[in-house]
Amino acid sequence: MGLESILTAAFLVPLLQTTLRSTTTLLLTALGGMFSERSGVVNIALEGMIIFGALTAAVSAQLLEAPYLAENPGARIWWIPWVAVLLAMVVGAFIGWIHAVVSIKYKADQIISGTAINLLAAGLPSLVLAYFYDNTTASKELVNRLPEWLGFSPLVYLAFALVPVTWYVMFKTPWGLRLRSVGEHPEAADTMGINVFRTRYTAVILSGVLAGLAGAFLSIGVLNQFVRNMSAGQGFIALAALIFGKWHPIGVLGATLLFGFAKALAIQLGGGDIMPPTVIEAFPFIITMLVLAGFVGTSRPPKAIGKPYEK
Amino acid sequence: MNRVWLALTSAVFLLLLAVSPWAVALRAFGGKGVLVTLWGTVDLYGRAKAMPDVSWLGYFTVFWVALALVAAVAAFLPEARARARLYYAIGLAGVAVFALEAYLFYHAVWAANEAALAAGARRPPLKRYSLSLGAYASILYSLFLLAVGRLQLPGGRALLVRWRGVIVPAVSMLLAMVAGAVVVWLLKDVKIPEEGGMLTYLTAKLDLVTYTFQLLFGPLLTASGWFQSLLIATPLIFTGLAVAFGFQAGLFNIGAPGQLTIGAIMTMLVGVHLANAHWFADLPDGLARAVFLPLSILAAAAGGALWGAIPGWLKARFGAHEVINTIMMNYIAASIFLFMIASNEYTFFGRWTLHMPFKFPGYEARSYEVAESARIPLMVNLFGFHQDASGTWTGALSWALPLALAAMVIAYVLGARLELGKRLLTALAVGVLGYFAGGFLPGIPMELSSKLASVRLNGAFVIAAFAVAFYNYYMWRTRDGYELRAVGMAPKAAEYGGVSIARKTILAMAISGALAGLAATHYVLGGGIDEYRLKQSLPTNVGFDGIAVALLGQNTPIGVFLSALLFGVLLTGGLQLDLQLGISRELVMMLQALIVLFIAAGGFLPRYFTDPILAAQAEEGAQGVI
Repeated sequence: MGLESILTAAFLVPLLQTTLRSTTTLLLTALGGMFSERSGVVNIALEGMIIFGALTAAVSAQLLEAPYLAENPGARIWWIPWVAVLLAMVVGAFIGWIHAVVSIKYKADQIISGTAINLLAAGLPSLVLAYFYDNTTASKELVNRLPEWLGFSPLVYLAFALVPVTWYVMFKTPWGLRLRSVGEHPEAADTMGINVFRTRYTAVILSGVLAGLAGAFLSIGVLNQFVRNMSAGQGFIALAALIFGKWHPIGVLGATLLFGFAKALAIQLGGGDIMPPTVIEAFPFIITMLVLAGFVGTSRPPKAIGKPYEK
Repeated sequence: MNRVWLALTSAVFLLLLAVSPWAVALRAFGGKGVLVTLWGTVDLYGRAKAMPDVSWLGYFTVFWVALALVAAVAAFLPEARARARLYYAIGLAGVAVFALEAYLFYHAVWAANEAALAAGARRPPLKRYSLSLGAYASILYSLFLLAVGRLQLPGGRALLVRWRGVIVPAVSMLLAMVAGAVVVWLLKDVKIPEEGGMLTYLTAKLDLVTYTFQLLFGPLLTASGWFQSLLIATPLIFTGLAVAFGFQAGLFNIGAPGQLTIGAIMTMLVGVHLANAHWFADLPDGLARAVFLPLSILAAAAGGALWGAIPGWLKARFGAHEVINTIMMNYIAASIFLFMIASNEYTFFGRWTLHMPFKFPGYEARSYEVAESARIPLMVNLFGFHQDASGTWTGALSWALPLALAAMVIAYVLGARLELGKRLLTALAVGVLGYFAGGFLPGIPMELSSKLASVRLNGAFVIAAFAVAFYNYYMWRTRDGYELRAVGMAPKAAEYGGVSIARKTILAMAISGALAGLAATHYVLGGGIDEYRLKQSLPTNVGFDGIAVALLGQNTPIGVFLSALLFGVLLTGGLQLDLQLGISRELVMMLQALIVLFIAAGGFLPRYFTDPILAAQAEEGAQGVI
């Protein structure tokens, strides 16, 4: 395969599709992270939240479908993946709540708290998998994964639809204004009668919900099982996209599309002899670093980010 | 509030005493045992051939209930000194009664065993007996009462706050263990005899949880367990120091895995390819060793330093946050690592082919073997033991290493009046003298047990010990270290004082990276992954474990060392856990994560434990009372 083979429809169409799919995880996660960070709480735990979401969705869908499959091995039950998605969101919210309690109520270093959750996401899934499936690396493959509408999972449409929605919520509603004011100047917000703690709790939990959704997309949308470490750094890349996108929905969309494209390129070029796969796999990470170093110069984070609020 | 806590603790204690196994008379492989409880023995094993006579155990219950009652009444005494005296008295009584109970239990077990042997049994029927949760609860409760007694006196709270460096990690550890116990409780079921009721089930569950932690801490009881724990602790010491070094300078280095990887690649390049290069083939063995071993070790440090310095520079120059950049560098390092050892031939754009000499031929992704001259000897070799042709380890326990160490410490302590640089040099010189003097002394001839010799604890542990000493020296005894800590605590004040924050950031990240890189010496040069090679199974995750080590050790040298050792013990015990109970070793990883989470939350203790200013006030205020 030479260079010329790249510029064909057979290569470009799947490339576009893969780009949209790999963007979805990043976009959902980054939009969620935006709420948390705009409210002044660094959320490095996004990676762990994705993993917990993915685990919950895969395991719950598999357990739900098991009795039906026992009767009819090809049973398709439409509500199972959706319940699994819902559960993944609930678990994501719970993880977000833990992060919120530790970093808002107990005023922990938010990065350490997030790292702890990521470490937890590296260890706990193995125990859960060992309990249900007697192995520590992957869950059982399931039949009832998310459906595809016109070639894409519904969550792909949802992710892109969420861009204008978050923009509206963040910049056109009173709640969005309060959220941003809490992240910029919590003392002033508090004086104005805004409950800083509650706003931050809501924001962090919301980011957990969206990251859990992204995880569900990975495990029962893209794949049909949970695989250990399946998020492979996408939570961190989403965080970088958030910074690159200047904490703004439109910017985040652009940044995640760029990273998604880099990842899709890596996948599409994977088998050929254009580039060794190990080199391509490093691309998104190198781009992230370049972006963070070079182009973000003018990007200004929320002023109160990372600082616990002392009433 | 204090009374509520006291009442709550007493209630939990009495409850535990009532339902948990007090001791285990016999433990079979796989966890089934004969449980001794206050209300009788429960034989989950089913084939016990002898039982200890523990009918006396029930009588002591009266004592413990009385103790808890007295403790509750004591809280209402009006005078502080009287309260304190009473708590001390009942606390000491508790400790004494616990000792008596323990003695009686072991005595009963031995008596039962002797009786069985006299009756013709070939082996003692009761084995792997131990105290259990109920007994642990009684001694802990007694110690708790003693602590409550101290708290009644003036300055009690200040004392607690002064020890916050120990109390916060200890409480976090305890909470993590409780959470771990809950997880084990949920994930692992027990089988009880059919006639057993709810109480038996509860006891069996508590026994399972207790046994889980007994297994985890089990390596502390055997010499080979200690060796194995030190082996696992060695890389953790390096990565823990790396993270702690960053923390001291106000930087969070999550990049230890990547720094370790690059360190491993660099040390592989020097230890395999430079040391094996044909133009050095004529060097005498001793000289080659003197050149290539230090060079390979330095290469590991240099690789890590490079990988740490890049995010440091990016932060200093562009303000890019080190946390995300170090994470990205981890993934990039992993890619480079695979690129180097997964294949020797790569094609770019379908035209250009790159040939590399690093991968050893074969299916597995691994490098060539490290040259003999660049290998770090095993600790058993350093202590003067050698393996003969039949495979047994014999030799004389050499005095060289212990004497060198002792001489160094003595010289360092005696040289308190010397200037620091001279003091260190003197200590080092005396240490070398001690090494040679010890080499000439006749050693103690002995034979090593094969179990002990099979643990591949290597000289990297000595390097780790030196790294701890270096960290202590550099951070607290040099101007650079002082400035680093100043940048970490109050960057603006440090800058006003003339410290260049940019330069310190790069320096701190480089040294932090170098410490992480040194962990590679253990894996590649010391044969820490079974072979003297760089292999795909290089466990880079120890870089993340370093975060837990640094936090649990509160970034102090001795703390990092001890918490690395603790995790070494837990991970070693985790193997048994997997083997005996089928509980994955990942439980230890979960404990680590929870410890990090709880320490971040200050162990859920009051703010005056975690906030430096409030802590200082708490100490001051209490001194005023005295």
